[in-house]
Amino acid sequence: MLSNTYKNKQFVKVLAFLALMLGFFVPILAHAYTGITIVISAPTPANTEFIEDFKEELISGKNTNLHVKIIELQEAEKLVVAENSELVIALGVKALEASSKLKHTTPVLGVFTPLPTFNSLLLASRRDLGTFSAIVLDQPYSRQMSLIRAVLPNIKNLGILLGSTSSQYSEHLKDVGEKSTLNILQENISQEADLIPKLQKVLGSTDALMAIPDPLIYNRETAQPILLTSYRHQKPVFGYSQSYVRAGALASVYSSTKQLAKQAADIAVKSQQAPGLLPPPQTPKYFSVMVNYQVARSLNIQLTDEDSLYKKVLELEAAQ
Amino acid sequence: MTNSRYLALLILLFTGSERLAIADEAGRKDAWPQIIASQDLSEDDYIGEVPKVLTVSRLSQSLADAPSAVTVIDRKIIRAAGIVDLPEIFRLVPGFYVGTNAGFFHNTNHVVSYHGMSTAYAGSMQVLINGRSVYNPLYGGVQWSELPVAVADIERIEITRGPNAASYGANSFFGVINIITQDPSDVVSNSVIATHGDGRNEAFYRHAGKLNDLSYRFTAGYRDDKGIDNRSDFKRTRLLNAQADYRVNDKNNLEFEFGIVDGNREEGIIELDPTIFLPRTKDIANHYELVRWRHNVSDDSDFSLQAYHSFDSSDDVVTTADLRPLLAGLLQPKLTFKNNIEMQRFDIEAQHNFSISPSLRGVWGGSVRRDTTYAPFELGTNKTDSFDLQRLFGHAEWRPFERIVLNAGAMLEHNDFTGTDASPRASINFKLNPNHTIRLGVSSALRTPNYVEEKFNARLVIPTILPTSYLVQFFADEGNVNSERIVSREIGYLGNFGKVSLDARIFNDDIRDYIRTKKRNNFVTPPGLLLVGGRPNGGENSGDIAVNGFETQAKWAIAKNTQLLFNYAYVNIDANEDDTVRNITKSMPRNTISALLTHRFNPQWDASLAYYQTSKVAALGDGNPVDLARRTDVRLARQFNSGTWQGEVSAVVENLFNDHNQEFADYNTLKRRTRINLRLDF
Repeated sequence: MLSNTYKNKQFVKVLAFLALMLGFFVPILAHAYTGITIVISAPTPANTEFIEDFKEELISGKNTNLHVKIIELQEAEKLVVAENSELVIALGVKALEASSKLKHTTPVLGVFTPLPTFNSLLLASRRDLGTFSAIVLDQPYSRQMSLIRAVLPNIKNLGILLGSTSSQYSEHLKDVGEKSTLNILQENISQEADLIPKLQKVLGSTDALMAIPDPLIYNRETAQPILLTSYRHQKPVFGYSQSYVRAGALASVYSSTKQLAKQAADIAVKSQQAPGLLPPPQTPKYFSVMVNYQVARSLNIQLTDEDSLYKKVLELEAAQ
Repeated sequence: MTNSRYLALLILLFTGSERLAIADEAGRKDAWPQIIASQDLSEDDYIGEVPKVLTVSRLSQSLADAPSAVTVIDRKIIRAAGIVDLPEIFRLVPGFYVGTNAGFFHNTNHVVSYHGMSTAYAGSMQVLINGRSVYNPLYGGVQWSELPVAVADIERIEITRGPNAASYGANSFFGVINIITQDPSDVVSNSVIATHGDGRNEAFYRHAGKLNDLSYRFTAGYRDDKGIDNRSDFKRTRLLNAQADYRVNDKNNLEFEFGIVDGNREEGIIELDPTIFLPRTKDIANHYELVRWRHNVSDDSDFSLQAYHSFDSSDDVVTTADLRPLLAGLLQPKLTFKNNIEMQRFDIEAQHNFSISPSLRGVWGGSVRRDTTYAPFELGTNKTDSFDLQRLFGHAEWRPFERIVLNAGAMLEHNDFTGTDASPRASINFKLNPNHTIRLGVSSALRTPNYVEEKFNARLVIPTILPTSYLVQFFADEGNVNSERIVSREIGYLGNFGKVSLDARIFNDDIRDYIRTKKRNNFVTPPGLLLVGGRPNGGENSGDIAVNGFETQAKWAIAKNTQLLFNYAYVNIDANEDDTVRNITKSMPRNTISALLTHRFNPQWDASLAYYQTSKVAALGDGNPVDLARRTDVRLARQFNSGTWQGEVSAVVENLFNDHNQEFADYNTLKRRTRINLRLDF
């Protein structure tokens, strides 16, 4: 009797152990895919460009065994994917939202997605990170701050405006700021009427403004008051997109569609060859620097060319 | 452990293993905190198009690229200087001569002139408020106390030291003052400002707000100025002004301005004119409206259109003294006549800013202006006179190399007095390194004669019991005066030495056909009249003048909370006609020094000390020789902050050591004055 119970316990232990091991491998068995489906909400120029660049990346990496299919949400009534054999790359928030509703074993990689939105979708869809990941649009704060230090070597105080979406990153920003030897001054904006007064307060005690994405603070309508007010105070604004730099921000780090496509292709290939989980959500790996030289000239800020600045940013990033 | 417990552990481990793997990733540097976020952000917020805001017309040149010496006076300096009258701030610009209570005939007003050479009506400076010319064509100059702008409205003042006709038109002869008011969106919601002191009371209320795409501000207030001792120089004005900015869409902006002033002012000095223009009070009123449209044509091109109208009037009833002791056979002992003046200005200006390449940008445009003047006493006619002016201007900035900036521009002007003329300008800036710039420039400008010099026919006909009447002829212009022309050459330097920044300039100005009003010995009395009181004055060109000198401004950040602003100018004037020599060479102080020291003790208390020194000078016209003058002002301020409101109480002592200085003429003696100011923002 005693030996039977003992043997049972042993058996269960082994079974548990096997199941445990199997548990590690289930993802592998379930996710070895043979093709890639790119889901887009509409054929915008950015999306079309991404698809072209992505395909080129696969070809140049000699990964021609991965075939690429495109699904346009506008046309398809329902998103149907050959689950278990496709990696889904969703371009944009709408596409990612639709893709999040697919069977949980289908790996989904979001591109052109803001981090806060990705997190919301992750929670709402109850998906696991192993099959739901993204290359978020947000550049790492340390990279943005490295750019600021490369452009303004003598900068001491940096101003940041935070809204309801971005205020969650307040502590994180302070940490990164400390590591970058910058003194960060933050102001929280809860309503539109606070924007200009708080902006002026920040501009009065800092050397520059760093923009962190937040729909309340940085949008088409607020671009004019923010850029004009900062300019009147003779303080540069560091944006987070090429468009903002063209509008009047001094400089920004950004990732082009080609660079994002390269990173997505890297992930697609690695995930297929080394079966396992999708890498966790990551910031863009490849980036470029864009500068508005007219604004620099007007603020009497001396700048080297974009390439030298890019190298300097890489140096500063590595040194941290 | 039971089976179920093993199962639970399995599930936990299974899902937990993924978490572990993620935690590893999260442990790496700069990974993301996994926190719940609110929705709303889409990729559009990151890569969508944002309209271009800092377009080519909004980006002003940095001082190092500018073609002339520019001094910028900002709100901080205005506050620290403790001034209550706007023109006082120009004492802090190197090379300026400021004379308070200048003149007694027609008005008593500050005179502000660059390099002197001025009567009570400085006609050789262009003065603008937000690009609108407030220059007065009748006597020339600016009626400072009657401008529809409060000191609290000012964001900054840009002063170009040197002729700038290519950008600002003729009459930017010696330089340009551009007063820029605060953008409505920069103004605190509500503000009350009051001042009380020796002979001075004023109070203003300012309000700003925003309605969707419209931001606006208005200012309302009054000023009572009793002036200085022994002078009939009382002034009282009430003013209301408003400014609005309307963002029509991504590419179009509309700006509106409106201002209205009314009040009265005293004038006259009985010792100097006991006969006709006795001390009395006249009523004044003025108003203006302005609209400006800014249009962003493309990424490299901006267009703006501006139109304004201004109206200026003064009502004056003059009663002379009893004239019988002076003249025989009068019909009446005293004469009463009206000296009303009404002036209007209509101006439209179009401007196109463009950028051809990253190293070449320019601006060009044109304007049409009409000034109408009704001044029956001054002009000797009841007809309203019209003066038309058309301008075409252009300016380009070219950077052939990173360290060299070339600026070139010209203005072509046609006006009713002197026909068509051109005023070109060119300069080259060598940016030796980010901290040192050398500038070489040459600039030419014209000054068209004003009404005093060209069209005055001011006279009084005093009837007698006989058919012949007495004629007092004050002015009789012949109307054939040429424009004055200035050619200014300069070498300028801008340097940054860490805590000190320096702006220095050596200049050489040649003025041709200098206009003076002199006694007209060739005046012919019309028949039936007997000329009394001497020959009339008339405008005429009288020779050439050379002005040479050196100016500098230094800013020193002595410590974290202490700053010093220091100015020095040395100006020397030579003339070639004896007559002119006697007058002109002493009309600018040889040496002027000014300094402003500011210190902040803690977030509540700050203080400033100002020092002004002007060597002896003999102003023209109503002016006369005065000695070297020194003045020290001190200001102490205490700020209050309670979250919802902020306030400040400050005290200013002007002329701390009570040096009884004379300024502009010996009939002005300035004594110590104290004031208390209160400001409340809520």
